[in-house]
Amino acid sequence: MSEPKPRKLKINILRYDPHVVGDEPHIDTFEIEEAPGMTLFIVLNDIREHHDASLKFDFVCRAGICGSCGMLINGKPGLACSTLTSKLPEEINLAPLPFFELIGDLSVYNGKWMRGMNERLETWIHHKEKELRSINRIEEPMDPDLAEEIYELDRCIECGCCVAGCGTIQMNENFVGAVGLNKIARYKLDPRDERTDADYYELIGDENGVFGCMTLLGCEDVCPKKLPLQSKIAYLRRQMVKTGLNENVTKCNCLQHEEKMPEH
Amino acid sequence: MRIIYTDVLVVGGGLAGLRVATGVQERGHRVIVLTLVPPKRSHSAAAQGGMQASLGNCAMGWGDNEDIHFEDTVKGSDWGADQQVVRMFVNTAPKAIRELTHYGVPWNRVRKGKHTAIINAEKVEIEEREEAHGLITARDFGGTKKWRTCYTSDGTGHSMLYAMDNKAHENDVKIHERMEAMSVIHRHGRCYGVVARNLMTGEIVAYIAKATTIATGGYGRIYEVSTNAIICQGTGQAIALETGIATLGNMEAVQFHPTAIVPVGILTTEGCRGDGGILRDVDGYRFMPDYEPEKKELASRDVVSRRMIEHIRKGKGVPSRYGDHLWLDITILGREHIEKNLREVKDICENFLGIDPAEEWIPVRPTQHYSMGGIRTKYTGESQTLKGLYACGEAACWDLHGFNRLGGNSVSETVVSGMLVAEYISDFCDSPQSHIGISTGAIEDFVRIEEEKIRRLLNNDGGEDAYVLRRAMEKIMMEKVGIFRNGRDLQDAVEQLEQLHIRSKNISVFRSKSYAANPALVVAYRTQKMIKIALTVAYGALLRTESRGAHAREDYPMRDDINWLKRTITSWPDPEQTLPTVTYEPIDILEMELPPGWRGYGKRNIIENPDSMIQQAKIDAIRNELLARGADRFAIQKALMPYEHLLPEKYRGRNERLYERFDDEKDEV
Amino acid sequence: MSKLHHSRVPAYLDFTQSLTGLLLALFIVGHIIFEGSILLGPDAMEKMTLFFEGYYLFGERHPIIVTFLAIVISILFVVHAALAVRKIPSTWQQYRTFRNHMRRFGHEDTSLWMVQVVTGFAMFFLGSVHIYMMMVNPEKIGPYLSAQRVVEGWMWPLYLVLLFCVVLHAFIGLYRLALKWGWFEGKNYRRSRKIMKRIMRAAIAVYILIGLASLGTYVSIGLNLENTPVEKAER
Repeated sequence: MSEPKPRKLKINILRYDPHVVGDEPHIDTFEIEEAPGMTLFIVLNDIREHHDASLKFDFVCRAGICGSCGMLINGKPGLACSTLTSKLPEEINLAPLPFFELIGDLSVYNGKWMRGMNERLETWIHHKEKELRSINRIEEPMDPDLAEEIYELDRCIECGCCVAGCGTIQMNENFVGAVGLNKIARYKLDPRDERTDADYYELIGDENGVFGCMTLLGCEDVCPKKLPLQSKIAYLRRQMVKTGLNENVTKCNCLQHEEKMPEH
Repeated sequence: MRIIYTDVLVVGGGLAGLRVATGVQERGHRVIVLTLVPPKRSHSAAAQGGMQASLGNCAMGWGDNEDIHFEDTVKGSDWGADQQVVRMFVNTAPKAIRELTHYGVPWNRVRKGKHTAIINAEKVEIEEREEAHGLITARDFGGTKKWRTCYTSDGTGHSMLYAMDNKAHENDVKIHERMEAMSVIHRHGRCYGVVARNLMTGEIVAYIAKATTIATGGYGRIYEVSTNAIICQGTGQAIALETGIATLGNMEAVQFHPTAIVPVGILTTEGCRGDGGILRDVDGYRFMPDYEPEKKELASRDVVSRRMIEHIRKGKGVPSRYGDHLWLDITILGREHIEKNLREVKDICENFLGIDPAEEWIPVRPTQHYSMGGIRTKYTGESQTLKGLYACGEAACWDLHGFNRLGGNSVSETVVSGMLVAEYISDFCDSPQSHIGISTGAIEDFVRIEEEKIRRLLNNDGGEDAYVLRRAMEKIMMEKVGIFRNGRDLQDAVEQLEQLHIRSKNISVFRSKSYAANPALVVAYRTQKMIKIALTVAYGALLRTESRGAHAREDYPMRDDINWLKRTITSWPDPEQTLPTVTYEPIDILEMELPPGWRGYGKRNIIENPDSMIQQAKIDAIRNELLARGADRFAIQKALMPYEHLLPEKYRGRNERLYERFDDEKDEV
Repeated sequence: MSKLHHSRVPAYLDFTQSLTGLLLALFIVGHIIFEGSILLGPDAMEKMTLFFEGYYLFGERHPIIVTFLAIVISILFVVHAALAVRKIPSTWQQYRTFRNHMRRFGHEDTSLWMVQVVTGFAMFFLGSVHIYMMMVNPEKIGPYLSAQRVVEGWMWPLYLVLLFCVVLHAFIGLYRLALKWGWFEGKNYRRSRKIMKRIMRAAIAVYILIGLASLGTYVSIGLNLENTPVEKAER
């Protein structure tokens, strides 16, 4: 079994360091000999170690679990660590995820954006009573199927690929993105969260929320975790329209909400 | 110079760090968390298989309790663990899991009625109880008598970390992202915070706090191949070591996980074997039952890893361009199970190997996975020698795991130790001892030292290339301080690492001279720290002339309870010394609830300490006497080794189970 | 601030945009088929015209019905356009950002949206002209009068462009509507989407073919009108 001659990969990287005065966005090209099982994680580290020590990029788990290494790979958002070069053409263009604050080269500050999103949508369980009655007690049962369904949506790794693939957010930077909508869908499913549809309407019932989504489905098609984004956003849209058009629901909960406010 | 004051500083935003942060915040103390990466990207997220807690909801876990969890953990540690700490841990684990449920972790649940499972490569029918329906279920893991590992598919760590981080959002915990702790600020044996570097701008900031907690995880990346995330570089242990005062414990205790994929070393969870997956050799033969007739693939990790290497050495490995490996076969679990409960494994196989694990076997090899060693602490999480410095989670040697950790006990430890340490820290902060007694001038000195180090690295011309040193270190650790160790190799390793350490003082940052975001600079200063950590591991391993848990010496194959039932304590008091200082902390058999014996798996190769017999006889006598008087398990345990008084009051309660129901009104049985 | 959040308007707007879009698309689905009746010969088209003028119901022709229909459609059209305009890039900067994103990404559903923007924008003008003419001259519909308008009225270029715009816009819109609201998701929504996309492509092809053929027929009738006096032919 003689193996074919390894390919010479041409890696074009969009580079820019905002901390360096006078630096302009430019493309640097590196040539790397392909090895079996090579991922972009290996490629980029090779470049940093042997060609350009200043190249900035982020990896943490390098196993497709942590969501650090989202970047544009030939224009398409994806996780670099779990992208095999064998699945790409010889010439590979890498660029940082657009939209997020740039740290330098391929490194973006999406953690900051994600934190903002989480705070804005209050992505935590809202209990009626904040304290658990007793942590010594047997836990509340939950339907096994429902638990699995919640986990299905909980699998989001906040890598930002859906945001980078979103056409809506290009034009409306306040849009919560699929990542945010998916979180609301997740909490809406969770019986431990006491929030009502009206409460969720407060969070996503506008152009920055579910009604901003134009169903371009970039998110759905680039999500590395294959989350059911399309289906869940559609679900939220139906629910939020129902809530918005139902006079009783909104009114009654508005009052409640206003009553609650002073206690905060 | 910027100085930021807070009550509690937490270095590390993984599960342990976040749990400490929310805990002290709820006690009314201001807290800041410094993290290298957004907390949700921490390595905790990579824990796939599960979290041990003796809930006993599922049929195969029925009858489980703290006592059995305690026994499993101590045996797993090869008696290296601090048994009081283990007791504190097993009693708090069920509370931790219930708290996490409250925070939003979905957990897989018990489904009433019959279902089939694969046990010992055979289909077995299990019937779950009606009353357990919807409660948290568990899967089997290595080294446990009961099915105790609670899980959320194979994204347990992920779902826990997300719930925890969300809780931190809710509590409005301040997170300072991409801040790297460079050194610990201390004076007169008291820790006052850290000097940190902003990885985006390069700014050096002093964080001053009453209490500082290091929760930076393990040091797996000193090895060439590791399942660890690339940020698990032991820098937390290193900055503690560099104080010259704080000590590290059992650094040579390094765990190798049996099933990481070849060649990249990404983990496939123990859940694969827990759910019924088996190991096969080059002939497709299932070899583990020959070595471990009782536990087979589910002996503790150190044992399975060694057996695999033994088998490969017999020529039964599968040759590949990356060296020999073995097969992990989960095809027998069926596609449905894999796609539901082992999805990450499936993704990893598809993305990195290009195979479908429901159809094909997975190439695996034991790979560095966990650091039992770390910053040596008291049961409170406080350094034994540097007041005000705390550590918890994998970064610490608390000492829950001794010389080998059981699968499922690490994520469990992160939250449990986080819960407990948060209370001890809060108590400390509430006390007058927590007064911050350091002048701005003294703080400035610490900052200046770090600034000077960076300036030197950037301006040094013609020095050493950090990458070269780093690769050399990784290779030495891989080849000479691996699963099987021997005196000759370890001696070599120590000598070579010592040379690397000396050379590392002359590192230059080539090509990339920026003071701001500069990966070359980061590699340079971290390499210096990593080589020190590697030295503590190799040197500790060289000195320990016995085999215990994950530390296996070919030239000393016996576990030596007479001479070596003690913890390795490493420090670096003089920055000029080129080898760490090693002392030992004895472990007293006569205070144990479970004296040393055979673990029930692995080789029976023990130099017994006569104290073990004496203590066992004493325990048997007490037990029999109390049993005769009709005492319950709690009373017996209390008579053998009281520990409850060590726990914070709020975590002293007993744990309710289906077969140990509480009185409806009171939180008691 | 909280008042704004409580507003139900976004829900109404979103719902209305989809509803008007759906009705307009369904109208188009029928419209082009009716128009295509010319392919079966002038008589078929004549009958169709009579049907819409209520001839078979009232026994006489009421072109006002067509006017009424045209008014309804124009209302839907205006409402839909007004709502849709919210989504369209409003500044050059926005447009350029989106276009760059689209080009870099090379993602079909994203690009399809740009098709909708362009076709929608074109229809602001083309559609308005067409609807207005139908509203004010409802009696001038018929195999020969229409043909005369197409050829002598120089409407064929407008109709040709309008055909492409309206078909693309309507079927991409229907496809997007189904995804937007989660219709026909079935057990495996990803599979359903693939099927729907195939249906969308097929429908676009079929409708453009029908449209072109009808238009061609009108043109050919129109060119031969000199031999057939219009008024006589209409009776």
